[in-house]
Amino acid sequence: MIDGLLILLFFQFLGEVLIRLTSIPLPASVVGMVLLLLALLLNAPFSQRVAPAAGALIKHISLLIFPLGVGIVLQWHRYEDYALALGVAVVLGTLLSMLLVTLMLKKLLGGKHGKSRGGSHD
Amino acid sequence: MIDRLDNLADLVHTPLFGILLTLVSYRFALWVYGRSNSLPLFHPFLVASIPVIVVLPLVGVDYVEYRDQTTLISFLLGPATVALAWPLYRQLHTVRSVLTPILIATVLGAFISAAIAVGLAWWLGAPAEVVGSLAPKSITTPIAVEVVQSTGGYVSLAAGAVAITGIVGALAAGPIFRLLRVTDDRIKGFALGLVAHAIGTARAFEYGEKAGAFAGLALGLCGLVTALALPWLWPWVAQYL
Repeated sequence: MIDGLLILLFFQFLGEVLIRLTSIPLPASVVGMVLLLLALLLNAPFSQRVAPAAGALIKHISLLIFPLGVGIVLQWHRYEDYALALGVAVVLGTLLSMLLVTLMLKKLLGGKHGKSRGGSHD
Repeated sequence: MIDRLDNLADLVHTPLFGILLTLVSYRFALWVYGRSNSLPLFHPFLVASIPVIVVLPLVGVDYVEYRDQTTLISFLLGPATVALAWPLYRQLHTVRSVLTPILIATVLGAFISAAIAVGLAWWLGAPAEVVGSLAPKSITTPIAVEVVQSTGGYVSLAAGAVAITGIVGALAAGPIFRLLRVTDDRIKGFALGLVAHAIGTARAFEYGEKAGAFAGLALGLCGLVTALALPWLWPWVAQYL
């Protein structure tokens, strides 16, 4: 667990260093994620040690996030004027995206490799 | 006596109070989610928010103070984002044979989701900061709250929009797959992960392991592609808002 956390923080730090050196407009943690992915693909010797900490953090991601989300309600005065735009963009937008993305995937992936039988669970 | 009570009341202005309230709310939300058989509508993000939203105004702590109290928790979003490399790495192995169409689908899908949200919000007259908050709404929250800083959006709004997107996407997936006669579990999984991130991925696992793996992959790739593209593209989009 400690090893994993150490590795994750180290790669986030590397991301931070890289961003400060190059001034690319990306979040440090995303750069850290890319660097860690590259290290894993290159078979870094520590790969198995990342798993426990990574698993725990990802499993409880809602805990890390919802304290930021409550701001929507507690600072509603900031957003109330745009409630309609927000609602439509989020709800209708998601329905439209789901429809279009599924259609696109049917075109791109359909027919290739073994199709699984209708609705069956593997 | 009065002094002691004042002393006690001051306790709500400490990080200990904020963090304890957060953990208790989350624990309660996990229990509710389990009892509901993991129904997307009872996602811990939504349920955990309720006690916090009720308690904070009662004890006189505003949102900015609460956010400061819980810095310790939000700090972990950084390593949590880095951690996403791990499932991504695991799932890249399982789909090596269809990697090229997968990558094309990711880029197109990430673009479609962001463009629709941005387009609708802009068309309905939302100001630039609100539009910018919605651009990363289909990507996983830790990445979204980072990326939203490059689009000049609000972190809270982005976090909420991401959560609602996940819930709507997970609820709509079944009817949409039936409407479009989708029988391929890879497509179901990938669409869910791409549009509805982690909440969609949890839903995808109900279609089976294969759908779940494709959803997890889509979640990782879509977050990555959006995070890499949006900060460069946004200044160009923003001049039309």
